[in-house]
Amino acid sequence: MSDAEEVPVGDGAAAEDGRGLYVESPIIMTTVRIITPFVFTLGLFVMFHGADSSGGGFQGGVIVGTVVLMLAIAFGIETTRDWVGPRLAVALVGLGVLAFLLTGIGSVLLGGGFLEYEVYPVPHAIKYGIEFVELAIGLVVSGIVTGLFFVIAAGMADDGSDLA
Amino acid sequence: MTGALEVGLVAFVLACAVATALLRDVLGSIIAFGAYSLGIAVIWVFLRAPDVGLTEAAVGAGIMTVLFLLTIAKTVRPADDEVLESVDLRALAVSLALVAVLSTTLVALPAVGDPGSAVASDNVTDYYLDNAYEETEVKNAVTAVLAAYRGFDTLGEAVVVYSAGIGLLVVLDREVLG
Repeated sequence: MSDAEEVPVGDGAAAEDGRGLYVESPIIMTTVRIITPFVFTLGLFVMFHGADSSGGGFQGGVIVGTVVLMLAIAFGIETTRDWVGPRLAVALVGLGVLAFLLTGIGSVLLGGGFLEYEVYPVPHAIKYGIEFVELAIGLVVSGIVTGLFFVIAAGMADDGSDLA
Repeated sequence: MTGALEVGLVAFVLACAVATALLRDVLGSIIAFGAYSLGIAVIWVFLRAPDVGLTEAAVGAGIMTVLFLLTIAKTVRPADDEVLESVDLRALAVSLALVAVLSTTLVALPAVGDPGSAVASDNVTDYYLDNAYEETEVKNAVTAVLAAYRGFDTLGEAVVVYSAGIGLLVVLDREVLG
């Protein structure tokens, strides 16, 4: 804990030599380009398949958020932030909470209790209700993860790259 | 019934925790913390809690490590060559006393897998295990409890994540919300 006093907090050594946090590396770029679709699929699988095996919205959301982190580390944080846009992460978080809330309120409007999935007129309403709610949680978590990442990474010198 | 693997894992996790606290280099400390989270995740799997293990691996070992690394990228390394942090003996004594007091509750815990423990013999547990598969049509009873029987609690959790996250974003950031 005594570190904090001795370490001058600022843009840091990386920024001083004008290089930034981002290092362009063909190895990282190629690796990320190859594994990104698989990681994204794994995240969606964990999110959707949480009803039948380990996992769920919280874990799957984090893995889906990791995809954006990997892209940012490979292709430049500022570039990725410009590509994702400043409001998407916050919008996802709001959308997720709203979807969860409206699921509960909707079942009350249909004459059931709060979050009583079986009043929805779809086959296997509980199963799909659970999966919909997991998806909403996944939206919240992945939005928060990407938002926090971009906010913490902000303010560091970053050349970016036009390859993203 | 603890095998060598479990004992080794616990020793690994404890060593990582001590290394996290003692290492002077913050980068080394963060790497030790990531290893600690990974060890804890494997322990959760050993304790038949793969859902929790998955969370620990994704959040503790994954995202937290990245966020910590991003944070220390804004700092510089301490100049001297010491490897370990110098230990404040009085603080160490207080920590040890706290751990000792908390450890007295360990004897009150049931053994792992004890069939007579309240968790295994409780009416609520029996109800969930007997009815979850038929009533919710999902195969993971944990998810059935989280999203169906205790859906309201999970909504509360989602709202907590939402509030904490948005609060942090507002405090830390001027760009995201304008």
